[in-house]
Amino acid sequence: MSQQKPEYLVPALIGGAVAGVLTGIPFVNCLCCLWVVGGAALAANLLAKNTAGPLTSGDGAIVGALAGIVAAVVDALVDIPFRAVNLGIARRVLDRMSGVVEDWPSGLESWLEGSPAGAPVSMFLFGLFIGAAIYAVFGVLGGIIGVSLFGRKIVPAVPPAAPPPPPSGPGDAA
Amino acid sequence: MSCPQTRGAPAGLTRAVLPVYLLTAAGAALWLAAIFLAPWLAGRSSGRAAAFVYAVFSPVCHQIPERCFQFHGHPLAVCGRCLGIYAGFAAGLVLYPLVRGFSTIKPPSARLFLLLTLPMALDAGAGILGLWASPIGVRFATGVVWGTTLPFFFLTGVADFLTARRKRLEARALEKRRGKSIE
Repeated sequence: MSQQKPEYLVPALIGGAVAGVLTGIPFVNCLCCLWVVGGAALAANLLAKNTAGPLTSGDGAIVGALAGIVAAVVDALVDIPFRAVNLGIARRVLDRMSGVVEDWPSGLESWLEGSPAGAPVSMFLFGLFIGAAIYAVFGVLGGIIGVSLFGRKIVPAVPPAAPPPPPSGPGDAA
Repeated sequence: MSCPQTRGAPAGLTRAVLPVYLLTAAGAALWLAAIFLAPWLAGRSSGRAAAFVYAVFSPVCHQIPERCFQFHGHPLAVCGRCLGIYAGFAAGLVLYPLVRGFSTIKPPSARLFLLLTLPMALDAGAGILGLWASPIGVRFATGVVWGTTLPFFFLTGVADFLTARRKRLEARALEKRRGKSIE
């Protein structure tokens, strides 16, 4: 019996898009890398639903890696309009805390001074490349976990064919 | 009961798992070292180098300073929870040869994984809902607990992928040789 080869692309696109959007939206993005792991696990779940045969951990690794790369691209795009909001949120939180905390950790001011307009294109692409590599690794992890949770199916044994009915007796001939 | 996902004789699996293990261990050590490198560089007034290292970790962590441990007077490159996850990953790598060995590839049970995820999920969920603000030590500890399970999934999946790929390539090479011998 031939096994259907899993189709990785669509589940990876969906799982990666979900992870990328959640990683980029303010307030929600506090879980950072865990969204990527979750998105890859979602991709593995969708792959399991769309695949007739059993999945292996290797299948999870592939779909997870693809989902991680998609998540990095989507996150980079979603972050563009929200960058100023994210920095503003951080400034407001720290302003509220300034009455309680006397000595801030060093490096804080430079972190807050990040430009709301974003980085030059070259830095954007470099950051995207680094992000894709890192997210792919987290995606591999999430995909493997997803297959372990959702995708380990056991192919049911085909039941034996029912025996044919016995031939009809002489009494039925009339 | 599910069967282990083994794909060949023990020698073949050891050939797949051991290199993956060693590369993963090296990568994890480098990753953890880089987390501490950023504040160390900042402490030595190497601002640009420190900023670069902090930037590498920015896609995977919010890096809010009051949620980060300090090293040499500067925040680490990741927050307390992320550091716990990575430290737990390293601890899981140390445990892996003792618990699993290199002759089988088998992920942990789903129940165990969900059980070890629960503390972090409850802590993070309560924080998001505004029910409580956990101290950095709690975030670190829940991260460690969860991170310890991760190498058992990661090594299983990558080794399984590499083993399957090697067998496909060997099967194709065998088919080609058979095709040539018939001709």
